[in-house]
Amino acid sequence: MDDMQRSTLWTDALSENRLTGTWRNETPDYRNLPSPCLGACPVSGRIADWIGKVEKKDYRGAWETLVDNNPFPAIAGRICHHPCETACNRAQLDETVSICALERFVGDTALSEGWAFPAPPANAPAQSVAIIGSGPAGLSAAYQLRRAGVGVTIYESQDQLGGLMRYGIPAYRLEKSILDGEIARIIDMGVTVKLNTEITGAAGLQELRVRHDAVYLATGASRPKPLPGVDYDQPWVQDSADFLAATNAGQDCTLGAHVLVIGGGSAAMDVARTARRLGRKVTVLALEPEAMLPAQRAEVIEATEEGIEFVTGAMMQSAEPGTDGLRIRCTRVDFKRGTTRGAFNITPVEDSEFTLTADAIIPSIGQDADLSRWQDLLAGDGPVLKADASWHTGLDGVFTGGDVASMDRFVTQAIGMGKEAARSILVYIAPDVGAADAPADDPEAGFSVINTAYHPLAERNKPQNADVTARLGNFKEVQQSLDQSQAMTEASRCFSCGTCTYCDNCYFYCPDMAITKLDGGGYEIKSDYCKGCGLCVAECPTGAIRMQEDL
Amino acid sequence: MNALSSNKDLQLLNGNHAVAMGVKLANPHFAPLYPITPQTPILEKLIALQSAGELETELLTPESEHSAMASAIAASATGVRVFTATSSQGLLLMHELLHFAAGARTPIVMFNVNRTPASPWGFWPDQIDSLSQRDTGWVQLYSENPQESLDTVIQAFRIAEAAQMPVMVNHDAFYVSHAVEPVEVPAQETVDTFLPAYKAGLHLDPELGRSLGAPIDQKSWNESRQQMAAAMATVGDLTASAGQDWGDLTGRSYGPLEQYRTDGADVVFVTMGSMCGTVREAVDGLRARGIAAGLLKIRLFRPLPQVELRKALADVPCAIVLDRNYSPGVGGVVHQELKAALFDMANAPRLHGLLAGVGGVNVSAEMIERLAVEYRDAVASPDPVWVEE
Repeated sequence: MDDMQRSTLWTDALSENRLTGTWRNETPDYRNLPSPCLGACPVSGRIADWIGKVEKKDYRGAWETLVDNNPFPAIAGRICHHPCETACNRAQLDETVSICALERFVGDTALSEGWAFPAPPANAPAQSVAIIGSGPAGLSAAYQLRRAGVGVTIYESQDQLGGLMRYGIPAYRLEKSILDGEIARIIDMGVTVKLNTEITGAAGLQELRVRHDAVYLATGASRPKPLPGVDYDQPWVQDSADFLAATNAGQDCTLGAHVLVIGGGSAAMDVARTARRLGRKVTVLALEPEAMLPAQRAEVIEATEEGIEFVTGAMMQSAEPGTDGLRIRCTRVDFKRGTTRGAFNITPVEDSEFTLTADAIIPSIGQDADLSRWQDLLAGDGPVLKADASWHTGLDGVFTGGDVASMDRFVTQAIGMGKEAARSILVYIAPDVGAADAPADDPEAGFSVINTAYHPLAERNKPQNADVTARLGNFKEVQQSLDQSQAMTEASRCFSCGTCTYCDNCYFYCPDMAITKLDGGGYEIKSDYCKGCGLCVAECPTGAIRMQEDL
Repeated sequence: MNALSSNKDLQLLNGNHAVAMGVKLANPHFAPLYPITPQTPILEKLIALQSAGELETELLTPESEHSAMASAIAASATGVRVFTATSSQGLLLMHELLHFAAGARTPIVMFNVNRTPASPWGFWPDQIDSLSQRDTGWVQLYSENPQESLDTVIQAFRIAEAAQMPVMVNHDAFYVSHAVEPVEVPAQETVDTFLPAYKAGLHLDPELGRSLGAPIDQKSWNESRQQMAAAMATVGDLTASAGQDWGDLTGRSYGPLEQYRTDGADVVFVTMGSMCGTVREAVDGLRARGIAAGLLKIRLFRPLPQVELRKALADVPCAIVLDRNYSPGVGGVVHQELKAALFDMANAPRLHGLLAGVGGVNVSAEMIERLAVEYRDAVASPDPVWVEE
């Protein structure tokens, strides 16, 4: 009887008489799909991957995945504008995952553990690349090129590396030791550094073209936009970049007791909050209404908490010294956002003039790239350098990126551009090393493919800020780290959208034993036996399997 | 057969408690149970026995009869002995899984207390709940009294495990389930001799790496039914030998059918369950009045012992089926089954189908005697006839 039943009732293994695959009109496609956070990430970081490793306490593995795309996780974990969190599927269930804080946790762990990048490969290409500028784009490109073994020389006009990250971001947002640690790790890979070396003009660039196989030009946008009608020679006017560079370098501030910061972007917030920490009374004057300020929301909130006053939807018309400080005449404006990034229209509101008083003004309305240096050699594209999709300028062997080449002025955007340019440069100088696989054209794993039954509601572990009283009078970091247990529980909130977590649900739920586990991880779907019921897809917690119609 | 005349240890037990004692002696590994009137005393007695440390069986009280049967199937598929009990609505809620259990060849033993299904709501003895499950592939046995219920539930495990088919044993609500009679509870050693520990063949086990009931093609499904047919074909003999072996050990023998005073009978009553006891009394009364009456008790209803039925009724002039059930639009189920079983038989009796006791109404010995007189010479109607006291 047992023998008889074996053929009808019991399945010992895949058996010839049950080719249930013939019933199928849809086939499960088991493959990792990009998560929405990956799509939003300026460096295309494999976020679901590395968070999965954090959850398994594999911090080293998480860090290695992170630095595949970005050598600065501790920096990005502090100052990234984190569009990943806006895209996060989890927001549709309860709250977005604290991806940025998790990145900081991993980045800080790497620094405290002293993890170093591996030595470049021995059989490296002999070529060398010159990088002009050591901001996020330049250092990112240097790192990626050095990983491939290419010789890299950085030419930096300042006396320290870091560019905007060092001179533009105050320590209360990014501690200098963190910056130094993450930069040193790159230089330790064998990058040649030439400090205090400004490459000026076409001749300098031409010389680098001769000396190196390619040039990456990432000089940033360090030239403050002048505020029309302001005499920058007056002692009560200071340019925002000068102000931040001086204060970041620890120099004394000579401005009066009440400072008016003009501008509503992130740089304006940095200026205002720095001045506040130096004991000044601070007022911010911005064209935009409060809700439309271009600075990140958290920065505006934190600035307000720190006692900074906002006068929004208004424009300065003139500033004149009086007996007790400046009399600053202003008018209310009707602000309309333009169609391109940064463009806007304003109309002064009639009879809305008012007067502010202050002891000094710091215009902080944005920064321009200095394109005049490359005149006659490199073409411009509006306010930035012209470049094609591979970041090639059109001048043979000269690539560009970062703020000098783009209006996407975020640190992590620049890091991503540096990575992309490094890939293009590799293809240019060493096609056999640099050629990368064409990216797969897979759809994003949206919220609808997540089986939320496997993801119970869980409160987000938000990074905490230092108390306001503890913030003022010093430059200690405002945002605090997640501790290990918070990081673990936060990592476990990640849906791992589109990323297989090897949970075995598909293997166990398949009614036809058509899914087998592969040695070394993953699964194989046997098309002879899969009848296309879709149970594996329904029970996949992460959307790493999808049904594809058989055509 | 008269328990009172034996020297053995007798206990006063109602039918349900007798079942529980039989289950205790059969010592199943697992018993999922959901309460329902009038089955509940089986569940209560088993829980009481377990609480007193007299029952090793793992009891589970799931949220429904459907889940009870589902867990019974799963447990049985792992190769352990499984018991459950239910009644009426509970049995009907299990219906889907009754097919599954039989198809999966899980040798579960279930005790069903026959009760009217709703609507209208009622708690009365009527066998349509189990008879309407006749096509699910379960072996069905019907018991007449508490002693037989105890004896049969033990035999049922042996039949089920030998045939690899689930077995349902039935007795009537209240008339048997709640009626207290002296019952001989056999010694554990006796039962152990009769029913050794269950040794499963193919079964679920992660170590063995095999699955049960995966989708198959048409031909294999067809084969699975032929395999069930082959298994069902062994049940008649298994029932006979189990009943005989039990008789050798306890003095109480059983078979698929039982004949009472049918030798030379002019009229034979055919029925199942508690009605048999009343018919015995009527037969004695009729014989005393010079009317040659007899009883043919159907104990094994599925598989229907057709050969034995034809043999038992050959050359009997008149047979009267008393159905304590009604299949609307057709009539009494036993009547229909018997008509089919006797089809094309040259020396078949005139077969009357009487709907007696449907819904638990009383059918007295006097009424049965009256029916014998009324119908023994009458022309049999192919249609069912409703009879009343």
